[in-house]
This record gives sequence, C-alpha cells and structure tokens, in this order.
Amino acid sequence: MADLGVERADFVSVPVTDLERASEFYESLGLTRSRGWSERWREYELGNVSLALIPIEMLGRDEFAPNLSPIAIRVPDVAEARETLEAAGVEFPVETIDSGVCHIAPFRDPDGNALQLHRRYAPFADGSLP
Amino acid sequence: MQVEKVDFVSFLTEDIPRAKRFYAETLGLEIETEAENDMEFRAGQVTLDIFDPSSIGQAFAPSPAGLALRVPDVAAARAELEAKGVEFDGETVDTGVCHMAVFKDPDGNSLMLHRRYAPFDDGRQP
Repeated sequence: MADLGVERADFVSVPVTDLERASEFYESLGLTRSRGWSERWREYELGNVSLALIPIEMLGRDEFAPNLSPIAIRVPDVAEARETLEAAGVEFPVETIDSGVCHIAPFRDPDGNALQLHRRYAPFADGSLP
Repeated sequence: MQVEKVDFVSFLTEDIPRAKRFYAETLGLEIETEAENDMEFRAGQVTLDIFDPSSIGQAFAPSPAGLALRVPDVAAARAELEAKGVEFDGETVDTGVCHMAVFKDPDGNSLMLHRRYAPFDDGRQP
C-alpha cells in the first residue's frame, strides 16, 4: 500500500493540435496561467490541480486522438456557468444531467477533449456538504 | 464563470476488476468509492474516477495525455513499478526542471511519475 509514495497529482493534461486556439479557449473559461507556464506547453490553474495543454508534437504521435475521459470542473452553479459559456459560443451537446446527487453539463474544448461543469448538491454519506 | 476546483479527473476502462488491482495494489492508491461500473481513487488532492463506459452504452477510448502523479523519487518509483511488471514509454525524461516517466495503465490510459526538482521563478520549492 502506497509504497510508491504518491503525494499528489501535479497536473492533468490534454492533447491539443493548436496551442494558441486552445489557450484562448481555456482563458475564456476564466482560468489563470500557472507557474509552470512554458512556450512549449501551457499550464492553467484549476483550483486544486494544474491543467497542462500538450501540443500533439510533444506526445510523439502522428494521429490526434482527444481525451474522451472528462475532467469535472466544479462551479458554484452549473446552470449559470452553462449560460455564460453558451453566450460565449461554447456548445453543450446534451441537456444538463441531474444524477440525483449532482448536476453535470458535458462539453468539449476546440480539440474535442471532454470536460464537464459539475456541482454536487447532495450531502456526502458522512453528512458533510460538498 | 467561477471555477472552484477539479472534482475529479476520469479514465475509462474495459475491465473494472483489472483497473482496481492496478490502481489499488500496483500504484497503492486509496479507494474512495467502489461500485460495479465505477470506482474512485484518491490521487493526492484529486479524485481519479475509473468508469466502464459500456455500462451506459458508450465507447471506450484510452486517455492520450494523462495524469502526472508526484512521487518523492521518480527513479525509485519507476524501479518499483517495473519490478511489478509495469512497462514505461522510453527513458525517464529530465526536462531541466523535473523528471518525468511515462507509463500506461492496463487499459492504455497515460500516466506519469513526476517530480519537479527546480525551484519556481519566485524561489519557492516544489
């Protein structure tokens, strides 16, 4: 158990084909650049973890495949955040999902990487609030 | 829009029991929740959600870019994982500020052992 000593997640990354276009998109979400900023890749603050945008060239692959496993971004109010993003031209392919414990609104970045606006509203099993 | 934090990052799997063995036993991550088609592990301050998309009729695809796990010593952690049969993509990379060793889970999702050793621009230690 835990003999590797995993301390934390330093960053989560998504592949991008156009670093400038991707940067513009993530900055439109209101994210700030992190200290790991570089000319070769970009890093943004997502609260508790950094998001790294990795150009496809750096991944050493010829064929581009987006990340289809979503990153769940917590916002105070999913409906409100969705409206803001829709007004800015972001498309949401489905209605916001009410899972019974949280609201989920899936969307994609310009490269097709999966994201979701997420807010749990139900208390956890121990009674604490999300 | 106000972004508070990441609630979870997710990887897709085609085999929940196999993923459970890998994340809980091989990597030693703590299990947060466990269900038939969905498990959550604690990756430090972030929850890693492992989900079987076939349970809702969706297609599987491995995550191509992945999650960087901070360990005290990349070389030591890599040696431990290799001893357990985990294969790495190439040699450990020294970027000049950090060590990175890229590997995959049994579903092909990309992970990385990561340790920054250089101080940040403001002088703080990583």
